[in-house]
Amino acid sequence: MDAFVFSLLNGLVYGLLLFMVSAGLTLVFGMMGVLNFAHASFYMLGAYFSFALQGLLGFGPAVVVATLLSGLVGVIVERFFLRRVHAHGHAHELLLTFGLSFIIAEAIKLFFGNFPVDYRIPASLDFTAFRIGAQSYPAYRVLMAVVALAMFGALYLLLTRTRIGIIVRAAIHKPRMAQALGHNVQLVFMGVFGVGAALAGLAGAVAGAFYTTNPNMALEVGVMVFVVVVVGGLGSLGGAMLASLLIGVVTSLAVSVDRSLADLLGFVGAQAWAENIGGLMTLKVSSLAATLPFMLMLLILLVRPRGLMGEKN
Amino acid sequence: MNARTTLFSSIAASTLALLSGVAQAAPVKIAVLESLSGPQASTGQAYRAAVRYAVDKLNAAGGWNGQPVQLVDYDNQGGPAGASDKLKAAAADGVQIVVQGGSSAIGGQITEDVRKHNLRNPGHEILYINVGAEASELTGEKCNFYHFRFAANAPVRVKALVQGMKQAKALGSKVYSINQNYSWGQDMEKAIVDYAAAGGYTVVEKTLHDVNKIQDFSPYVAKISASGADTVMTGNWSNDLLLLMKASKAAGLKVRFGTVYLDQAGNIANAGEQAVGHFVAQAFNAEAAGAEGERFVADYKAKTGHLPIATEPQTVFGLEMVADALKRTKPESNGSLNIVALARNLETTKLKTPMGELSMRAADHQVLLPIVVSMVSKDAKYKADDTDLGFKPVKTFTAEEAASPAQASCKMLRPS
Amino acid sequence: MLLAALPALLPAGLLIASNQMLVAALFASAYSLLSGRAGMLSFGHAAYFGIGAFATVHAMNAVGGAGLLPTPLMPLIGAAAGLAVGIVAGWFATQRSGTTFAMITLAIAELLHALAPQLKSLFGGESGISAMRMPAWGLDFGSTTQVYYLTLCWVLLSLALLYFHGLTPAGRLTLALRENGHRLRFLGYNVHGLGVSAFAISAMFSGLAGGLQALSNEAANYAVFDAGVSASVVLNSYIGGVGSFFGPALGAALMSFFGYAVSDITQSWMLYQGVLFVGVMMFAPAGVSGLLGSGSRLFAQRGWKLALPVTLLAVCAALLLSAGGVFIVEMLQRLCSQDYRAMAQAAAKLPTIALFGRAWSPGSVLTWALPVALLVLGAVLALAARRRLGANA
Repeated sequence: MDAFVFSLLNGLVYGLLLFMVSAGLTLVFGMMGVLNFAHASFYMLGAYFSFALQGLLGFGPAVVVATLLSGLVGVIVERFFLRRVHAHGHAHELLLTFGLSFIIAEAIKLFFGNFPVDYRIPASLDFTAFRIGAQSYPAYRVLMAVVALAMFGALYLLLTRTRIGIIVRAAIHKPRMAQALGHNVQLVFMGVFGVGAALAGLAGAVAGAFYTTNPNMALEVGVMVFVVVVVGGLGSLGGAMLASLLIGVVTSLAVSVDRSLADLLGFVGAQAWAENIGGLMTLKVSSLAATLPFMLMLLILLVRPRGLMGEKN
Repeated sequence: MNARTTLFSSIAASTLALLSGVAQAAPVKIAVLESLSGPQASTGQAYRAAVRYAVDKLNAAGGWNGQPVQLVDYDNQGGPAGASDKLKAAAADGVQIVVQGGSSAIGGQITEDVRKHNLRNPGHEILYINVGAEASELTGEKCNFYHFRFAANAPVRVKALVQGMKQAKALGSKVYSINQNYSWGQDMEKAIVDYAAAGGYTVVEKTLHDVNKIQDFSPYVAKISASGADTVMTGNWSNDLLLLMKASKAAGLKVRFGTVYLDQAGNIANAGEQAVGHFVAQAFNAEAAGAEGERFVADYKAKTGHLPIATEPQTVFGLEMVADALKRTKPESNGSLNIVALARNLETTKLKTPMGELSMRAADHQVLLPIVVSMVSKDAKYKADDTDLGFKPVKTFTAEEAASPAQASCKMLRPS
Repeated sequence: MLLAALPALLPAGLLIASNQMLVAALFASAYSLLSGRAGMLSFGHAAYFGIGAFATVHAMNAVGGAGLLPTPLMPLIGAAAGLAVGIVAGWFATQRSGTTFAMITLAIAELLHALAPQLKSLFGGESGISAMRMPAWGLDFGSTTQVYYLTLCWVLLSLALLYFHGLTPAGRLTLALRENGHRLRFLGYNVHGLGVSAFAISAMFSGLAGGLQALSNEAANYAVFDAGVSASVVLNSYIGGVGSFFGPALGAALMSFFGYAVSDITQSWMLYQGVLFVGVMMFAPAGVSGLLGSGSRLFAQRGWKLALPVTLLAVCAALLLSAGGVFIVEMLQRLCSQDYRAMAQAAAKLPTIALFGRAWSPGSVLTWALPVALLVLGAVLALAARRRLGANA
């Protein structure tokens, strides 16, 4: 039972981390229709900025400044790169962001080297929060969860309760109408993109200390973030939260399931036959832990393409 | 003379010069075929630095046949397909010796390509010097006469690790085996199970996980905790090892880690204090290598700018064995290098290194090398990654003690 | 004709690159059938390329190593496999359009990529499956030249077929799919069927390209399903320009050659590649073929006197900007490398860096002034070109 609770908690926290990174992406995606391949790069930038500033400013201020810097990079990207390519269609915007992700990753390798860097949790935050059975739960994980939930709360309130939020939501659903009504939709786009990048940067600054900070961070998280956004529904914040938690928990719990299809068929007496076939039949669920999100994504796309909480087109 | 005659005569002159130059023959070309860019660039560049050091040393001693040996690099563009193309390019450029070590997947591709190339081009063979791809199949089902491995393999590492940890009374009775789900990880798992009796432990559970895809190892840590293991043995490298250790520290898991790749650059810096007390089976430890080792380390640092760590020393020693075999290989009548002759000499090469004596086993072309089991501690002589921690040697095994028998699956076809 | 004469002209190293370029060109052309003509952006085309490669390798290993078909006909297996999987995948994927379609194709490819290492008998684990080309029809297919000719024949045949497909009624209808699917449905056509057929044909030629690569490398590895392969075919097509038939092939050939040649020259080649992508997307959205097209239009419409100086200015500007940029990047790379930092800490003042045959001191102003000057000059020339173009409008 302990192990189950532990796995569940871990899954939830991992899911919240995914949410932190994908919140920005789903908003940008929903609003501009831009599949931003460089989004995970902002995650990586946040981690590296924070690492670089940690020595000068201390952990907390470094995280804050890193977030702002990532947001700034996001604004620059939108203003000087994406806007130019907007007229040529979605494919071009997408490919542009893909090229940018290369440039950012390689630039980081240029300045910081190819190896993981020593970005660690400060000693003051490195203690145990509570214990479950024989295992202890680090306080930093709780902190990550708190930051993610705070982010969700703040975004939700911002979007639903403030004037800016209404304008942003209008720009997401009906950009031309919003523009016709006199709102500066360009500025809104830039702002949302910047905020999305800043959030990803915050996620990176916070998570990079707990996991490792290396130049391949963007690749590691990048694909999963897309799965989250698709499963949750493009443009839906609640969907992103639901999907991240779902994927986090499923991945975490799947690791402890050492059963395969053959075992399932054992219920109808066909276990030996299935084991003879081998291949897909004897694959353990635990080895497929990283594949399950894609299966989920495919399922959702085929059965309910607008995602769990997305809008119908 | 008019312009046309000048042209013709100059062409004739240069052709003659070229023909006469053939008797001198081109210098021997050694190629490093590695991931020099992209996600695995750090490992590839380390190999290149080590090979360059060894080749410079060889050239300082006179090269071969009075000419310096040329070193060329090829970037495999990240995968086996790119490696295959660059191997063909290297063959076309006249490269005779290819060095690689960064990945067992790419190693598998190269050894097969080399075998096919040599079949199709008798007289223009290529030699594959493997300095780091440790999957068993390379000296097992895929063994071939033109492949020589100068690195250890899973059974060798595990045998040493088990005996070393047992001697240091750090090996518990319940071992958890967690490895990456590909040939190397599977080899490690098999070896861990095979040595259970010798080590006096039971393997409580075995896990294979996706390679370099998992960010969050806490579910695996939960499994380890639930199994009640007191020791974890793993062949994981880079992120997979780091994240596993970080997750186990975060969960307060009290286990001892026995690893193979803890000494990779960046690992100790990132793991910090939580790495103390864990074990690693290394091919080289400067502290264990005595005064000779100190000299080697100082010279390496002076020439390359950093200490030789992880896979670099075995690469240097491997290339030194190749240099030794080269010395014993006489040039052909036209001045070229006969690879078959070089391979035969390489089969009988022995080398004295600061760690002990290395020798090549002719049956499967696996080098027999000493292994040292070390523990991460604060009072190691050489510190890692600019931290205050280093690898303190616990026990050094000679090549004979560390060796693992040749695999029956290796049926090597030798040239007559 | 030039392509046929290449083996005689090129050194063997470039011949291998040409083989790679041909395969990439075919893959990109197959891809652009779907994305350019039918307007369906697919992000997972590596799946069909990879399936073709594996099918071919298995066929090469079949019958105890003798091969299911004679070697020159092997790519047909790749094509058949690509077609089969393409029909199934296409049937599901084309039920949706736009971003959802793209995501479905991505999911299929990623799923395959994640499952492949687990299914060892089919995909051979991380070292893949290897095979050997068997002699057939009097040739032994041992040398690169013979493989090159085989690849060339197949690629030319496939490109011709793709071109003629565009001229058939079915081909015309795929264009209509891109323009206005709704209207097509109202006109009574089976839009879903058309979509599936476009997808399947695209997958078939992708599989053929995969088969050609497997034949050339004599191995197939699950790394071929990687998202990077899918992404690079999209990039190659758009860099070449999806507006014309040969655009994607041209883009693929260029980028493939770039990767092959530059990867051995510098460590930062992926950075340059990224800059190239971004540059083309921003300044030449119709791709390289679009650039060539507008260039020839410039000459035709405005005459020599205007067009030639503008083109020269633009080319010089590009060269200068690239030179300045490359210099800075290479200097930074060496400056920030671990080895240099170690040396710098040991020495009293900053040691020099060897680049392009000369030693440059990072401390001196000249070292940095040179690339900045190149960049400034390049920008000036670019502006001048633009002004000239605009002035005589």
